[in-house]
Amino acid sequence: MVEQRGVDYPLVRARDLNFAYERDTPVLSGVNLDLCSGEMLFVLGANGSGKTTLLNLLSGSLTPGGGSVELGGEATASLTPRELARHMAVVPQSIDGVNGVPVRRFVMGGRYAHVPVWGSPGAHDEELVLRSLEQADGAQFAGRMVGQLSSGQRQRVLLARALAQEAPALLLDEPTTALDPEHQVAVLDLIHLQAQAGTAVLVVTHDLNLTSQYASRVLLLAEGGVAAEGTPEEVLRPEVLTPVYGARLWFGAFPDSGRPIVLPRGQ
Amino acid sequence: MGSPREPKAPAPSAGFLPLACKPGSTPLPPASTLLLMPGPQRSLLPLWLLGSIAFVGLILCQVAVGSTGVSGLGQVLGALASLMNLGEALPGAEQAIHELRLWRALCASLAGAALAISGVYLQGLFRNPLAAPGVLGVSAGATLGATLAILLVGGYGPELLLEGTRSWTPYALSFCSFLGAVVTVALVLGIAQGPGRSGAATLILVGVAVNATLGGIFVAIQALVLDDWQVAQAMLAWSFGTLRDREPYHVGMILAGLIPALLVIPRAAFALDLFAGGEVDARRLGVSTRAMRWLVVGVASGATACAVSAVGAIGFVGLVVPHIARKFVGAGHARLLPAAALIGALLLPTLDLLQLVIMGSAILPPGALTALLGGPFFLFILLTQTRDRSW
Repeated sequence: MVEQRGVDYPLVRARDLNFAYERDTPVLSGVNLDLCSGEMLFVLGANGSGKTTLLNLLSGSLTPGGGSVELGGEATASLTPRELARHMAVVPQSIDGVNGVPVRRFVMGGRYAHVPVWGSPGAHDEELVLRSLEQADGAQFAGRMVGQLSSGQRQRVLLARALAQEAPALLLDEPTTALDPEHQVAVLDLIHLQAQAGTAVLVVTHDLNLTSQYASRVLLLAEGGVAAEGTPEEVLRPEVLTPVYGARLWFGAFPDSGRPIVLPRGQ
Repeated sequence: MGSPREPKAPAPSAGFLPLACKPGSTPLPPASTLLLMPGPQRSLLPLWLLGSIAFVGLILCQVAVGSTGVSGLGQVLGALASLMNLGEALPGAEQAIHELRLWRALCASLAGAALAISGVYLQGLFRNPLAAPGVLGVSAGATLGATLAILLVGGYGPELLLEGTRSWTPYALSFCSFLGAVVTVALVLGIAQGPGRSGAATLILVGVAVNATLGGIFVAIQALVLDDWQVAQAMLAWSFGTLRDREPYHVGMILAGLIPALLVIPRAAFALDLFAGGEVDARRLGVSTRAMRWLVVGVASGATACAVSAVGAIGFVGLVVPHIARKFVGAGHARLLPAAALIGALLLPTLDLLQLVIMGSAILPPGALTALLGGPFFLFILLTQTRDRSW
């Protein structure tokens, strides 16, 4: 059983993580990461910098070549998938093969780890599924098939499933890429509320400006390691980002909050 | 594609605040709309009742109708009562004839159920609509086992065996067939689980390779014994299934495989639903995918092996019935698995009965019937299913 430790102790703790898909070309090496309850940690990095790999290592979908991942003080490798799923929900970028699955049954998947192994979902689970769908603004397509949804709607359904999991840690892989601006903000508001309620949130993203507004901490991956770590103000600076993303960036600040704005600059 | 999409839902109003923060939020849809949604709420009781009645009716019909003629309800019930020690046996050969018909009927329906449920298990596990019990090599292995047994007792084995085997020949046949099935599945799984190989695709490919090899051996043996008409005929009969001269132990044998497959439904159904998104996704949601794979492959191949060793290789049931069942109850495994078992139990006896009624005798082996009807029917399903490509 995973125990909740004190507030200061990280819920997810990775030490000296190494991983390589092919020998001699490490994707990640020596990565340390702490994710505490109630915080929103945004992971940035160029394409191929190992962001999704890091998320897969943290969630136990990949086995690290070296180093350790702990969840609430226990090695994730020693947890059963069921225990892991009760404490960590993952929102992948997309899922194939579920086009013929009704939305409500899909979201019900989040309840698997909570339903007794020989049992079936009960009224409480049904209720949670509908509530999660409503939270993710997906209640209106509860009766459809996943295949009938737009990619933005799918992303919200994926989020609803993770919410139904009721896990203290929430890992999201580019949750806003397919969303229109209104829903980008709405999804992050919802995730922010989860964090305020004590959930440890990790978001992998390319969106520097949403990061600037929502992150409590930012981790910048480059060349297989952590290039920078800190508050948005500390990381989203020209001298930190230019080595990673190149020089064609424009830096500014939101007039009200003073938080940084970073835009790609065309010719 | 080009299918008409549903009209767009009205734009979301208040957005994402959780329920607690949203006083006066939209209430849940009324129960009447829930009934129309695909989901566990909709009751399938009428379907089950209808199916069960049809099942009993079919068995009674099968006992009543045979190649020796049609008997009345009184005779059927009398024969069944006597079988259960509740009354006098029917005169002369009548009792024996009715009992034979009963075993034939039970074998047909239970084997149909076993093959169908195995098909659902494997299609769900492998996320592949073409997966069927045959894929794992169960049928090919069972057929080869039976073939070898037929060879041994049929005159090509040592004389020693031939002398003393007459009384247990049928048992030897079933046993060798079962052994062949189990050895083949073990072989397929063993190769597919080897170092550096895992996953559903490998398993199916290994199954295809092993199937082809065993099929080749089977044809080679057949070619060698073509001169011996009786032996060749026995082999042919096995490779398309046979419902002739079935006995209680055949029924017991099928049940031995079918019952575990039915008992495991509550454990496997929800997990199999999650396999639709792939094994990585299922694992993230809490499924011990490896253990589940063994459990499902185990009960599915067990059920198939038992069925095939009792009635021979009957194709297409494990492939087609799951698709028919999906039409009725959707793709959720908690309902799909029992529904497929029921439909499988109805399908084979129906075909058998139809052939008796239409042709007056049961000339065609069940495997030929299922292939003759199943093939075109499968095509029909594929061609009419362009609208919702659930796979």
